[in-house]
Amino acid sequence: MAYLVYAILDVNDFWHWDAPYAFVVTVFRLLSLLIFFLTTTMIAGLVSAFAGGVMPNDLIVGLYNTLVLRTWYMQPYGVDGPLTNIAQVWASFQSNLLEVLYALWDNTFLFLYFLFAGIGIALFLQSLVRMEHKFVGGAFLSIQAIVMIAAYRLLIVPDLDPFPVDFVEFLGLTAQLLALVSFAYLEVSYQMIYSYSVGKPVEDREETLKKQLLALRQATRKQDAIERGEKVSITGMSRTTGATAFSFLREAIERKVVGTQDALESLDAVSDVRRLQIYVDELLQTDSRARDELTAKAAAPSSSYVIGSTITGSLIRFLTVVAISFILMSPGVVSALLNLPLGIQDSVELFQPEIVLLFLVPVVLLFPFAAMVISWFSKREVVETPKLSKEEQEAERQRKKDLVRRKREADKARRERSKARKKRRGDETGVDEWDKALEDTVKR
Amino acid sequence: MVVFSGVLLLTSGFSFVNFYLVLLGVYLVIGLVVTLPLFALTANLAGIEVDRQIDKVKVFSGDFVRVRVTIRNASRRHFDFIEVHDQYPETWILAIGENFIASRIEPGSSMTFSYILQARMRGRYYLGPTEVIMRDRLGLHYYKRVLKEQTEILVYPTWKDVRRMEALGKQRQLGLMFGAHRTKTVGMGTDFAGFREYVPGDEFRLIDWKVSAKRGDMVIKQWEQEKNVQVICMVDTSGSMGNGYPENTKLEYAIRAAVLLTHMGLERKDLVGTCVFSDLVHGYVPPGARPNHMYDVLEILAMAEPRGWSDYETAISHVVTQSKKRSLIIWLTDLEGSPAPLINAMKTLVANGHRAMVISPFGPWFEAPVGQFGPVEKVLSEAVSEELWERRTKIARALARFGIQVINVGPEDFLPTIIKTYEKAKQKGVATF
Repeated sequence: MAYLVYAILDVNDFWHWDAPYAFVVTVFRLLSLLIFFLTTTMIAGLVSAFAGGVMPNDLIVGLYNTLVLRTWYMQPYGVDGPLTNIAQVWASFQSNLLEVLYALWDNTFLFLYFLFAGIGIALFLQSLVRMEHKFVGGAFLSIQAIVMIAAYRLLIVPDLDPFPVDFVEFLGLTAQLLALVSFAYLEVSYQMIYSYSVGKPVEDREETLKKQLLALRQATRKQDAIERGEKVSITGMSRTTGATAFSFLREAIERKVVGTQDALESLDAVSDVRRLQIYVDELLQTDSRARDELTAKAAAPSSSYVIGSTITGSLIRFLTVVAISFILMSPGVVSALLNLPLGIQDSVELFQPEIVLLFLVPVVLLFPFAAMVISWFSKREVVETPKLSKEEQEAERQRKKDLVRRKREADKARRERSKARKKRRGDETGVDEWDKALEDTVKR
Repeated sequence: MVVFSGVLLLTSGFSFVNFYLVLLGVYLVIGLVVTLPLFALTANLAGIEVDRQIDKVKVFSGDFVRVRVTIRNASRRHFDFIEVHDQYPETWILAIGENFIASRIEPGSSMTFSYILQARMRGRYYLGPTEVIMRDRLGLHYYKRVLKEQTEILVYPTWKDVRRMEALGKQRQLGLMFGAHRTKTVGMGTDFAGFREYVPGDEFRLIDWKVSAKRGDMVIKQWEQEKNVQVICMVDTSGSMGNGYPENTKLEYAIRAAVLLTHMGLERKDLVGTCVFSDLVHGYVPPGARPNHMYDVLEILAMAEPRGWSDYETAISHVVTQSKKRSLIIWLTDLEGSPAPLINAMKTLVANGHRAMVISPFGPWFEAPVGQFGPVEKVLSEAVSEELWERRTKIARALARFGIQVINVGPEDFLPTIIKTYEKAKQKGVATF
């Protein structure tokens, strides 16, 4: 894809390898001119203020000659000797600035071609290693951005104008070739990411489990060693193994090494590690499928099937997309299909590019609509299992009922107690011994 | 990314009148949606069945549980890319394996994965729901379904204190510690206790004639028998008991103490009951020695939640109607409620012939250490502590008049105190039966 873009755009003769250098140099020139302009204006203003409104011609000229002509290479702007007059300085500055700005504008585009090509290649290389959609998409978009910028600059770019009416002719065009290659790159890369991601989690799982079991084994061994009174080095467990082990395991190991024997005994984490080890050992011994289930080995799809279905799926998708796009973009096919009178054809401007939008929007929306209708029908089949089973729901209901009953009973008992207390207070003249005791104590 | 690229190419194509860019934009947009109906047709999520199995439905806090998740494709179509996330309680720890799988699944087939969790913090928990995400091959579209089915699991309070105590027991066997004293009552029984002089009124059959003959005086032979005590542990679960660091609240310590006490009682053939209360009685397991007694106690303690206020009267009236035998009632409460109901409750308790004592966690000792505070907070916290302490002293003084002792405890001495109290009760033979 990158090569095709390079080859097609090469006729414009803009692949100058010094473009990035020229761009950077131009930026620096522009900056130097601006700094000079600011400096001289400030100095002129200050000096004239002190000198009673008289502009120090010689000073400005001297500064220009010293700062710009000697320090910077100004020959490209037509200044090759020391200037002597202030008016000449300003005129030179003005023309130089415009020239530099124009050069910058021009160089920016040259620079962008290289920048996008660089980003595209870098993202492509990244996508080979990391297999993520964003890298593939980024590589695709960066390369296409070169064409977009070239089209903006009105350079010779791949085009299909006039759009061919014949499908075979359409397939044979160079621009079409580039479009197909670009789309195929995106399609194949996405399919590859799918194949990778469908098998990867199972592999990762296995790897993680191995690391976890290893970390667990090491932790238990260390614990045994410490109990035997041996000295244990901290380097026994690698950082990567430690990172995959769960938190308390890691904590146990770290604290085990630095802590004292007494402190360690109180560490729950240490006992957790040992119990986990026993639990896992028992599990692996009693259940032959336990290891496979922990790694989910059986869930890994067969690679041959995945590859086969990926190729078939890609081909079908690819051909469908090309065919539908051709029908959408070729006014000839549509006009032949519709067979409208000439007046109507002209009035809807069937042969203008805008007609693509007219067809594209409804056709594109048709697919999600169809999907929505299908999923709406299929959703009706979903029979949701209740959150809790019938027995659990019944038990929950019973619990709530029981709670309400007990609350009611407690309230009733409370009321009765307070009623009895009130009655007693009314009957008895003397203060209850216990109440008195409490009062006495509180008063004291 | 694809949508953005497609729109960018289309707009660029139209702006610069370039059919190549338009064509590429159309490719992308059509490529994005063309397989959508087919995906919707195949992605019939109703065809996915998830079954979750666990080793045990009741575990101790800190125990490990293996969760097996089986995903079955009951439909007639394959699923290109399916992701399954099985959710577990936030406070738990994923010890081994992963609670997630991503793969492809054929029609009629199933895949199983498992993972090991460490149950943390007692209570009733639910595993699930399970989130199933189905993606198309290019990862452009997805459907999500949440299978709400949950698996209930009850987490008992931690057993680590009992384990520690058993470890200490082993040391005791080696002579490192003194054993627990047994409550013995002289009178009936089979164990020889000693001799004493005859006093009028003693039964003739108790006279040891041989010894009497040797001594020349009437001597009674005494026997003794081992007695067991009956203890009822009253665990206050009012809102204030929930204060403190998570997993180290007053309530958590009270629960651990209750577990320890029940275990010790069962080991020594004593009867220990437990009552969990706040403004109503949440659960009561009468003193007993049935094989399932411990589990009954663990179950009511597992469900305890700090809420409501302390209604000591309701709790004690429930207990005294259920247990008629003389018992030692140990209150595990922070005494932060009104003192009058507490006194009334004690009145009922003593009137029914029970003995009582209060082991009371002191709030400030369970909360943030004073060292972490700034000067103002420090002064305030000290003032509050002082106020609370004074209030507590008054209550203790009021209860002491009636032989009820109040022991203030912090996180460090909560469990040792409960062990000591039990041992003391055994020695003194409080509430024997």
